[in-house]
Amino acid sequence: MAFIGVSIMRRLLVVVLLTLTMPVLAAEIRYELRVDGLACPYCAYGIEKKIKALDGVDKESIQIQLNEGVVVFEADNLISEGRLKRLINDAGFTLRGLKTSSATSGNAAHGR
Amino acid sequence: MKPWESRSLALWLTVVPMSVPVALAHDPVFGLGPHTLYKGGVEIHFGSHQEKAGDERATESEIQFKYGLTSDWVAGIGVPYVRSTGHRGSDSGRGPTSLSTKYRFWRNDLPGAQESSAVVARMILDDGDMGHGQAEREGNDYLLGLTYGYEGRKWYRWASLRRRFNGDAENGAARPDKWLADLVVGIRPIPTEYLEPDWVWMLELNYEHTEHITGAFNGSPQRIGGDQWFLSPGLMWTYRNFAVKAGVQLPVYDDLSGDQEADDYRALVELEWHL
Repeated sequence: MAFIGVSIMRRLLVVVLLTLTMPVLAAEIRYELRVDGLACPYCAYGIEKKIKALDGVDKESIQIQLNEGVVVFEADNLISEGRLKRLINDAGFTLRGLKTSSATSGNAAHGR
Repeated sequence: MKPWESRSLALWLTVVPMSVPVALAHDPVFGLGPHTLYKGGVEIHFGSHQEKAGDERATESEIQFKYGLTSDWVAGIGVPYVRSTGHRGSDSGRGPTSLSTKYRFWRNDLPGAQESSAVVARMILDDGDMGHGQAEREGNDYLLGLTYGYEGRKWYRWASLRRRFNGDAENGAARPDKWLADLVVGIRPIPTEYLEPDWVWMLELNYEHTEHITGAFNGSPQRIGGDQWFLSPGLMWTYRNFAVKAGVQLPVYDDLSGDQEADDYRALVELEWHL
């Protein structure tokens, strides 16, 4: 009887731990792209459209900051730098730098 | 040549070559710029161009569709509707279809700026009911162009050179070729951010040279062709993926052969969506 109780407790503990760790596993990644050639708002529409077409992107998070030459967005999956480079080039610009961080913590996970 | 005939001739020499703009938004209004569409992008473009010389007036409204084959290569098709009024009454109908392409062969991206160069080619088909001027054409017309542009957060500058190769008239008469050269500066007074209405003001200096030829008009030989210079204020207003462009071409100097009458003005309004 005592053995059954311990077993149930263990299973409950596992479920609780998994529940607690789920938000961490599903946390969004914040991408900060340094883009050269960004001069006019009208031309930047291609970047918005191409980022929106990516899987897992939070469409509301897209920010194009022309005066800083920076594009920011969040996604719930990892997007390779090569893919982002192609995306920016297809929009008519050049990707000069990329920083990724956790959207919640803001800690830099990768940068150059 | 009667006065109205010379005006018609001048109009024919000028309206038709200017009729189909190849420029995209954030290119000059009358000149040519190196802008292209993003890869897979679609552009819907409405333009209306009016030209007046003496009592002759021609208005051309056109719808164009363009597609971004790559981020440096765009292709498009345009169909105009033309209406002209003058001494001979008024006339209207579909103008010649044009097929155009632009390839940006060089691009230098800098922080907050982009400079680039492109080549442009356009074929004006021998179809439609209007827009051929006094003589029906025999074959297509062609246009080749080369352009450079610098686009910054505040300043713009462009330079372009175009040559239009006109086919002969159906009756065998020659139609003169044309050279066009443009120098343009632009300024964005306020460096707006994305999703803010954006204004860019421009001033263009446009030069046009029509090759001198001697043809028989109304039974008598007439020498036509010559040079025209224009000063053209214009503006671009954009918001996200929608753009409006407008400008007026004002003649400042002309040296035209014979009785050809110089243009009083040319005006252009364009609306553009990127999808």
